[in-house]
Amino acid sequence: MSKPLLAAATILLCACGATTSIDEYRPSNSVMEINRDESVVILGRRDAGHYDTDREFISCVASRMKGANINVMPEQQFIDSIYPWFEPRTAPKGLKRLTRLMQDPNIRHEVDRQSIRYLVWLDGSTETQNQGGSISCAISPGGGGCFGFAQWEKSSVYEAIIWDLNELSEKGRLRVDSAGTSYLIGAVAPIPLLSPVKKDACSSLGKQLKKFFSLDRE
Amino acid sequence: MQITRIEIITAFLALLIITGCSSSAQVQLAERQFPTVVSKPKPVSASIVFDSEFRGYVAAPNKSTSIEIGNAQTTMLGNAFKGLFNRVEVVSSRDEVSLENALVITPSVQEVQVSTPSDTYLNVYEVWIKYNLDIHTSEGDQIDSWFMPAYGKTPDSFMLYKTNAIEEATIIALRDAGAKLILDFYRIPSVYSWMVQHRKTGGSNE
Repeated sequence: MSKPLLAAATILLCACGATTSIDEYRPSNSVMEINRDESVVILGRRDAGHYDTDREFISCVASRMKGANINVMPEQQFIDSIYPWFEPRTAPKGLKRLTRLMQDPNIRHEVDRQSIRYLVWLDGSTETQNQGGSISCAISPGGGGCFGFAQWEKSSVYEAIIWDLNELSEKGRLRVDSAGTSYLIGAVAPIPLLSPVKKDACSSLGKQLKKFFSLDRE
Repeated sequence: MQITRIEIITAFLALLIITGCSSSAQVQLAERQFPTVVSKPKPVSASIVFDSEFRGYVAAPNKSTSIEIGNAQTTMLGNAFKGLFNRVEVVSSRDEVSLENALVITPSVQEVQVSTPSDTYLNVYEVWIKYNLDIHTSEGDQIDSWFMPAYGKTPDSFMLYKTNAIEEATIIALRDAGAKLILDFYRIPSVYSWMVQHRKTGGSNE
């Protein structure tokens, strides 16, 4: 491959990287303890009108946390086991409401039975902005191809809030911002150069969440 | 004229694309499992009338869409009622009610609405189910006619086949109906008054 072509490919690939930043807040410096029998549930907020925190992102964060031997209960399993108290209409938005829910012996029993210690609420979305350029594709019996150039920016903003179900308190907050530009080049075959915005947001959030929990192994 | 392999493949692809753009959707929600309700039932008896129209209800929100929700809504609301009352009798008509000193509830569907990304330019499929709960005493006195709307939407519409998307939104709407019922039923003023009266007259089933 010629040097200019190699340089152009390198520049394009580097341009497709995402910029990700994480902000963390903890009310105290004490570590969050979780033993082998206890579980964490990662839940998505779905009460906003114009977006839902998507299940794919939640599964991604949950899979990143599993690497640290933390028991992560699948979101739907938890929501079904405690139906209808974590549906979009009924899910507690604050600690006051959570405390009231946990005063119900049936709900408390179900949470204790499944040894659920922490809830991690994820709220946010990935959006596409500033789309530009154009690309057109054609197909005929004689052949086909795509010509043109298109680009778009994606940004992911997610916030995680961690609740302790034993102490009924908030243990911390994390916010991840990730942004990047993707390109699609039509040179007979369409060549996508996609920026892994959501993937970066997921891995950064998962990695940081892991650090919140220390395993109490006796 | 000789038809080449490329022409056949091109025609097949074109047919596939045109079929993919079809805007009709026939959704079936039969034989579906819904979660049981985590709730302590109150010491009240109730006869739930799921008539044949409700059990076999097929919604037709527009010319090109039909949703078979009869079975699923019977299961879902049946579960929810078990979380409200400590004694539940499910019957097919008012004539079959056998419980005394109980509520007789007849749910019916008033309307089902569907909206798709092509209607609203939003990135979601949405379903609204509007229920009406006709609430009587077992003696035949009307307590209330309660309007109960339920709503469900898909997280997004990306790569979703229309039938699957409407099915997903309908299931979320049915779950929402169950949640609304559990949350709000005893907040209906006329039901609350009946409960107070019921306790005074010693009608508790505890």
